[in-house]
Amino acid sequence: MESEEGGMTVRVRESRDSVRSVAMLFDMVFFLLCFGFLWRIDLGSKRSRVADSMALVLHAGNGNKNAFKTLITAEYSGVQVELAKNFVMGVTNKSPEFLKMNPIGKVPVLETPDGPIFESNAIARYVARLKADNPLYGNSLIDYGHIEQWIDFASMEIDANIGRWAYPRLGYMPYIAVGEEAAISSLKRALGALSIHLASNTFLVGHSVTLADIIMTCNLYIGFSWIFLKTFTSEFPHVERYFWTMVNQPNFRKVLGEVKQAESVPPVPSQKKPAQAKEPAKPKEAKKETKQEPAKPKVEQVIEEEEEAPKPKAKNPLDLLPPSKMILDDWKRLYSNTKTNFREVAIKGFWDMYDPEGYSLWFCDYKYNDENTVSFVTMNKVGGFLQRMDLARKYAFGKMLVIGSEPPFKVKGLWLFRGTEIPKFVLDEVYDMELYEWTKADISDEAQKERVSAMIEDQEPFEGEALLDAKCFK
Amino acid sequence: MALVLHATRTNKNAIKALVAAEYSGVRIEVSKNFQMGVSNKTPEFIKMNPLGKVPLLETHDGPIFESNAIARYVTRLKADNPLYGSSLIEFGFIEQWIDFATMEIDTWIAEWFYPRHGFKPYYAVAEEGAVSCLKRALGALNTHLAANTYLVGHSVTLADIIMTCNLYLGFIGVMTKSFTAEFPHVERYFWTMVNQPNFHKVLGDVKQVDSLPPLPPLPKQEPVKLKKEEEQVAEKVMERER
Repeated sequence: MESEEGGMTVRVRESRDSVRSVAMLFDMVFFLLCFGFLWRIDLGSKRSRVADSMALVLHAGNGNKNAFKTLITAEYSGVQVELAKNFVMGVTNKSPEFLKMNPIGKVPVLETPDGPIFESNAIARYVARLKADNPLYGNSLIDYGHIEQWIDFASMEIDANIGRWAYPRLGYMPYIAVGEEAAISSLKRALGALSIHLASNTFLVGHSVTLADIIMTCNLYIGFSWIFLKTFTSEFPHVERYFWTMVNQPNFRKVLGEVKQAESVPPVPSQKKPAQAKEPAKPKEAKKETKQEPAKPKVEQVIEEEEEAPKPKAKNPLDLLPPSKMILDDWKRLYSNTKTNFREVAIKGFWDMYDPEGYSLWFCDYKYNDENTVSFVTMNKVGGFLQRMDLARKYAFGKMLVIGSEPPFKVKGLWLFRGTEIPKFVLDEVYDMELYEWTKADISDEAQKERVSAMIEDQEPFEGEALLDAKCFK
Repeated sequence: MALVLHATRTNKNAIKALVAAEYSGVRIEVSKNFQMGVSNKTPEFIKMNPLGKVPLLETHDGPIFESNAIARYVTRLKADNPLYGSSLIEFGFIEQWIDFATMEIDTWIAEWFYPRHGFKPYYAVAEEGAVSCLKRALGALNTHLAANTYLVGHSVTLADIIMTCNLYLGFIGVMTKSFTAEFPHVERYFWTMVNQPNFHKVLGDVKQVDSLPPLPPLPKQEPVKLKKEEEQVAEKVMERER
């Protein structure tokens, strides 16, 4: 056997000599000391201990209630956890490095010295266990059983139903009226049961805050902040008492800040209209509310992208380019007004007016087509991209095609940009750009030129396949 | 005094606790004469679980509901139970896979299974979404199981028990061979698990479903396509007059 520390070898030696026995004893003692030292630093030890002085890194965006669970637990447990810097939801968690940590690519993920852990409740439990005999886990086996019971209840009965109600209204999932009705009904049943329990119990388990309270409160937080009106929660007065007490505990406040109850229910999103980004703040616009709130809920379910308000720029470098004979608006008018003989009129007209010195053509190819397994989700993704491109409307024209008759669907696009490069402000402001491979079209190559034409006119079949959808940015 | 589990023996959520008990040397009695939908609506039951759901475990120190919590409690009845791993990080990983099994596998299998078997209303859009999310999750699970025999460490843990019970509903109800063939490591894992003696004792022989259950018949309010034109016109007239 070898001890790694000193590179010393310990051997059990046979001996009848008393001197040798003493030496053997020495060896044994030394070995035990080395082994004991290793055991101490063995990170797999069953002894729970407070984590090293180095903070654990939690990958999640700001305002993610699933991250709050761990951050609050860490406050109670004296464990240092920090949010990863420069984390961008929808981008960072799609990188190969991230997928190695969590093959399903969801957040949050905690990096520990022994490996990464995903699933927000599991992370919170692990952090709680870093402190020996943590009161967050109760004092007895039955306490433990009850804490786990309420953690699961908080996830399955409260969080799941709040999610099915709030997320479609906030635009993260498709809205289905009967689905919402069922979710609200299940949620009321669950809140009713919870209210009964909290009528005679200050905390979920025992007489102080446990991990169950942290997880339950974080799950309720989404409801209270986004969708529960006072008229709704007044039916569950004990839940109200409980929630406001919890969020005002110092360790909760540190993480959550001040919590305000929603004053209006987000309206059902309108299916066709894109978000009017430049409109002044209207209390009715659900999407505008999302943009103004500094803390945003993150969805770990169907769609993980969020809407961002594009910032209008004062001066655009593209305005300073030498004038071009091609006027983008003329092309857009020609495109929209040509109803028949599209190829002979519009496509021919395009190539007649195209100026390769003042403009450039680009093909884009979505990098993660294997994710495109559901038709409406894929189309929403493209729709979101085009909404975020709004800031480039004066300088761009695009066609995005969703290709294939069955999943996984391929997303490909054709873009016309002012200037000979992809505008920098577009790359900076529109994060979807990173999700695509961009290649400049070489129109001296007949095949590429034809591909441009085919994409402008929504040619079907496109490269041998049916088109599920074609969206135009103009 | 043995623990009493209120549930039907074939309820996969009850099976989690029963298999954990086999591994842990804990005795659990399944409540005799338990009738789903009746026994769990009595006032005595509601006192134990205000939500009225099953399974529910009666212990010396009070009742516990939520199937995963019950399984955890039973596991902890045995000191240093290998089902919970042998280190803090293994504990973390076991909890991670328990939650994954619940949120990512069970949720979507249920969304698919229950409407097809007539327990909930069927919506094509919802099923499409559920199947897609399930495939994503099974893909991730498959990746993990390509290089790992068990979910955590080198022997069965509580994560394997819960994952297998959740997959079980899928395999017997909606996931045909042509569906699961896309996830060969999950297949290997599942069949190995259900054939372990402690699993087999509780589950018996497991048979994979042959074909997807057919769509339930449409409700009577939508026979418009079948009616003749005249009847449609007549209906419209009647509606206007109402």
